[in-house]
Amino acid sequence: MSTSYRLASGGLIDRSRPVSFTFDGKTYGGYAGDTLASALLANDMMLVGRSFKYHRPRGIFSAGPEEPNALVTLRSGARAEPNTKATTVELFDGLDASSQNCWPSPHFDLRAVHQLAGPLLNAGFYYKTFMWPAAFWEKFYEPAIRASAGLGALSALDDPDTYEKAHAFCDLLVIGAGPAGLAAALSAGRAGARVILAEEDFVLGGRLLSDTTQIDDVSAASWAAVAEAELAMMPHVRILKRTAVFGAYDGEYGAIERVSDHLPVPPPFMPRQRLWKIVAKQCVLAAGAQERPLVFPGNDRPGIMLASALRTYANRFGVSPGQRIAIFTTSDDGWRSASDLQKAGAEIAVVIDARAEVAPDVRKLAGNALQFLGAHVSDTSGYRRLTNITITDSAGQTRSVAVDTLGVSGGWSPSIGIATHLGGKGNWSEEKSAFLCSDMPPGMQIAGAAAAQWTLADALEHGALAGAKAASHVGLGLQTQKPIVASDEASGNNPVWLFKGSRRKAFVDLQNDVTATDVALAAQEGFRSVEQLKRYTTLGMATDQGKTSNVNGLAILAGEIKKTIAETGATRARPPHVPVAIGAFAGLHTARHFKPTRLTASHAASAAANTTFVEAGQWMRAQWFNAPGETDWLQSVTREVKAVRSGVGICDVSTLGKIALCGSDVGTFLDRVYINTFSTLPVGKVRYGVMLREDGFVMDDGTTARLSTDHYVMTTTTVNAGKVMQHLEYCHQVLWPELDVQMVSVTEQWAQYAVAGPKSRDLLRALLGDAFDVSNEAFPYLACGEFHVGNIPLRLFRVSFSGELAYEIAAPAGHGESLFNALMQAGKAFDVTPYGTEALSVMRIEKGHVAGSELNGQTVARDLGLGRMMSVKKDYIGRTMAAREALIDPDQPTLVGLRPVDRSQRLRNGALLFARGVTPAPDTNAGFITSTAFSPGHNHWIGLGLLARGPERHGEIIRAWDPVRSGDYELEVIDPVFIDAEGARLRA
Amino acid sequence: MLDLAHISAFAELRSIGDGRGVIARERRGIAIATVMARKGQGAALAAAVKEQFDVNLPLGPHGSGSDATSFLGTGPGRWLVTHDAGTPRFVDSLAQQLDGLASVVDQSDSVGLLRLTGPALLDVLAKGVAIDLGATAFPAGSVAVTQIAHMGVTLWKVDEAPTFHIAAARSMAGSFLHWLEASAALAGLAVE
Repeated sequence: MSTSYRLASGGLIDRSRPVSFTFDGKTYGGYAGDTLASALLANDMMLVGRSFKYHRPRGIFSAGPEEPNALVTLRSGARAEPNTKATTVELFDGLDASSQNCWPSPHFDLRAVHQLAGPLLNAGFYYKTFMWPAAFWEKFYEPAIRASAGLGALSALDDPDTYEKAHAFCDLLVIGAGPAGLAAALSAGRAGARVILAEEDFVLGGRLLSDTTQIDDVSAASWAAVAEAELAMMPHVRILKRTAVFGAYDGEYGAIERVSDHLPVPPPFMPRQRLWKIVAKQCVLAAGAQERPLVFPGNDRPGIMLASALRTYANRFGVSPGQRIAIFTTSDDGWRSASDLQKAGAEIAVVIDARAEVAPDVRKLAGNALQFLGAHVSDTSGYRRLTNITITDSAGQTRSVAVDTLGVSGGWSPSIGIATHLGGKGNWSEEKSAFLCSDMPPGMQIAGAAAAQWTLADALEHGALAGAKAASHVGLGLQTQKPIVASDEASGNNPVWLFKGSRRKAFVDLQNDVTATDVALAAQEGFRSVEQLKRYTTLGMATDQGKTSNVNGLAILAGEIKKTIAETGATRARPPHVPVAIGAFAGLHTARHFKPTRLTASHAASAAANTTFVEAGQWMRAQWFNAPGETDWLQSVTREVKAVRSGVGICDVSTLGKIALCGSDVGTFLDRVYINTFSTLPVGKVRYGVMLREDGFVMDDGTTARLSTDHYVMTTTTVNAGKVMQHLEYCHQVLWPELDVQMVSVTEQWAQYAVAGPKSRDLLRALLGDAFDVSNEAFPYLACGEFHVGNIPLRLFRVSFSGELAYEIAAPAGHGESLFNALMQAGKAFDVTPYGTEALSVMRIEKGHVAGSELNGQTVARDLGLGRMMSVKKDYIGRTMAAREALIDPDQPTLVGLRPVDRSQRLRNGALLFARGVTPAPDTNAGFITSTAFSPGHNHWIGLGLLARGPERHGEIIRAWDPVRSGDYELEVIDPVFIDAEGARLRA
Repeated sequence: MLDLAHISAFAELRSIGDGRGVIARERRGIAIATVMARKGQGAALAAAVKEQFDVNLPLGPHGSGSDATSFLGTGPGRWLVTHDAGTPRFVDSLAQQLDGLASVVDQSDSVGLLRLTGPALLDVLAKGVAIDLGATAFPAGSVAVTQIAHMGVTLWKVDEAPTFHIAAARSMAGSFLHWLEASAALAGLAVE
């Protein structure tokens, strides 16, 4: 029968709201306002897990985010969240948690046999112990270690919750709503500053909730509530509860808000967590301090806790974690804990202080408890819960005292992690026995316990001052503040880093099972820097990031290497300060919303026609249209190609980049960005152009049409649209600002369709009637024109990618779907066929047009058979660099057509090319296949490739070697234009 | 004659969630143009706009104009002009009015336009917009060319209700609505 450790009265829990929860399948009761840890303690559940390496029984150790031991798996199924600190979990009705890293239970864990191997499992054991036989490492040792290491397990199911991101801006960000933080927020808020007050806990107040001190003649907790009420009334102050600031970045802070973690399941539309990016002009870091444990033999038993945590459980949660409590301290604060626990009704058996002298008014705090000065705890016993401690007194005499709980207090470590994220470092203060930060990020002040202002009065005063300063830094007047009157308490401390005693392990890092012996061993083996110590022993590398262990660890190291703590220094803290779910960084952008999707105007109509789509950058393009009865993509694509070649087809080409270029100097501008001449392009004509990068390699190609004297429209490839726009803007703004050129993207404005095939003119004539004359005479190859149907502007271009008689017709995108449907309707009489990007690709390969596979960033114009387009009468970007020796070398692979000697052979992209009879090797390689297609016209596979001295080798039989796909076959090198070499169809 | 019906960019805009945290309406039938000053014609353009539209051409990220025609500064020498009065071929006539002073390019179909208002609007916009839209930093009349959920948008604050007009790329309307619905549903997205 378990005992209730809930005190009869007191605490900030709401006793009128009982809450029921389960732990390891058993149901327990708690109250609203409890954490999981306080509710477990109230139910005599001190032992909640096992340690990482030795599987030693471990109990709840702290009452906050520094918790090293009480890691549980919260919820189950897809929502299971391993490694959750029970000390920070807000209790809710129906909460379901389970222990981890133990089997079958924390009370009886079979892996506790690891403790027998303890002597072998010291620092760096896996580097030393598993050396032989070497082959065993990969096959046996490593899998075995991995199987027994680790804490909780992921569910491996999809996360059913959603996450979102938000941005916030303020004059002052206050991190932490303890006394200093509240005072800072109040003084800045009263001065009119925009303030964000972020508090990790679900109640504002910080230590005020855990102490019995008085402020302005009311209890500390009441004062916090009044402060919150005042802040909540200020319209320019935002209070973010359950929000942990996890990092300082350049000019902004990252914070994670646990929006619905305190609810069984997020209500509809509510995200689980929200990632905040906070841009703050000023920041007050008031993150408080964490009490340091003491390192002594047997210091890890369940029941040994931070003394201040015992105080928190009594004062805030109305729970006394033990029946007979001892306090072991090096600080005045330990005595305060003893006093508060006694006041709450707990029995304090003994107070042990390592200091020989303690002020009488401090000693008075222990009431009638036994006191030992200049003494220490040298051993403990009790397996699943502490039963006895051994005290070695100042004379060296030992005695055993029966207690079930031991509070340890080694002074406090300011929480300065966030202040050091931008490169600052903590400096050891002998006076304060703490690392303090003096080179904070710009605009940051540190206040309260985070600045080692230990007393409540100091914290309040410095907090208020920091808030007022921040307000004045953003241009608001310094307002006189009514002083906050608070009790002043003793805060002396004289730390002792390691106490000797029995041969039991003295733990430094409870979560990673690092002992004082491990630290000494590391120093002995030469790992004498704190950063090496950390990595060799794993000290401070657990999920708690060593919040309770780092300072003790480095202080013990300093002792070992005979240096001061200041000389030894501290490890660097890096963001995130608290663990953040990866899902929060993704926000809404998961699965198909990973990136925005762009749809063309014909998308819905195409989707209705059973179309397979392909991603082209952000765009979705129709890849092929599945006709009834077709079971294979090649079947569909071949049908589409045949239909275009023999009749007429329609393809959505809206995704190509379209850039409007205006002004009187566009011709000059284009001459400088294209390798060929555009200033001579007449109005009403289109020309194909190639542009180079500055280094001479081809950047992109496309057509540019001159719609009127001062108005051109350029097309780019789909994938390069943004890059070309950026390039043109750069050229104009930086290189030639003197030109009268204006440009803007019109890709979104126009829906554009290729109408291709010998019957394309007939289709357009049927569609447009008298609206536009599409005869060959009025509108020859490479003509362009604008006209209106009603008030709707349309554009027509006679260009062809397929090699057939072809047009591209464009309408404003809002009319795009109607235009697509009208084309299909008008085309019925000609048996029109919609075609996708695969058929488009087949036809451009048949025609020998280069595309992305050839414009691969490694080819110059000459390689692509476009050398003759390079004007010698003008300068243009890339001209000089394209003339480099290696780039005009005839051995450079150059575009050729390829067909298999065995016509049944399938060709595949990427196959390597070699001269016949040559052994394939890197230095004999002559090129590779860039594009392949099954040509319905030729009824066999064809390809384009880049081949050394390609143009000279037409007619030669070469070898294609494709080791990845076991291909080895012969190819005939031919001209890359497989159909209509003279271009008669284009001009028909 | 060829009859080409028009489909608005945000035809799929729908209410979601309970409440009216954000009230949305698609602005349809608006003529939109990018107006870009010709080389050296900035002052003359401003004078012409003043004379013909009685509008002080904004020289920064601000909007000015009448209910019918607004000029929004979107970059140096560049404005987005919106016209809400249904004048046929407005962009063509604007190009003629500003001939020689500015290049005028029709963008009426390149973006969808939303009018957003409601008590939760600033909180909802903060889930996408990485700039400060508060009254001090972004007073009514301010214009920003920025992005929401990796999508380029132009937004301008009409009043401190607050009411915003947002222009988002037409091809991304579906992804934009996904962001809007996911971000506004908790407070309630009501479509008028």
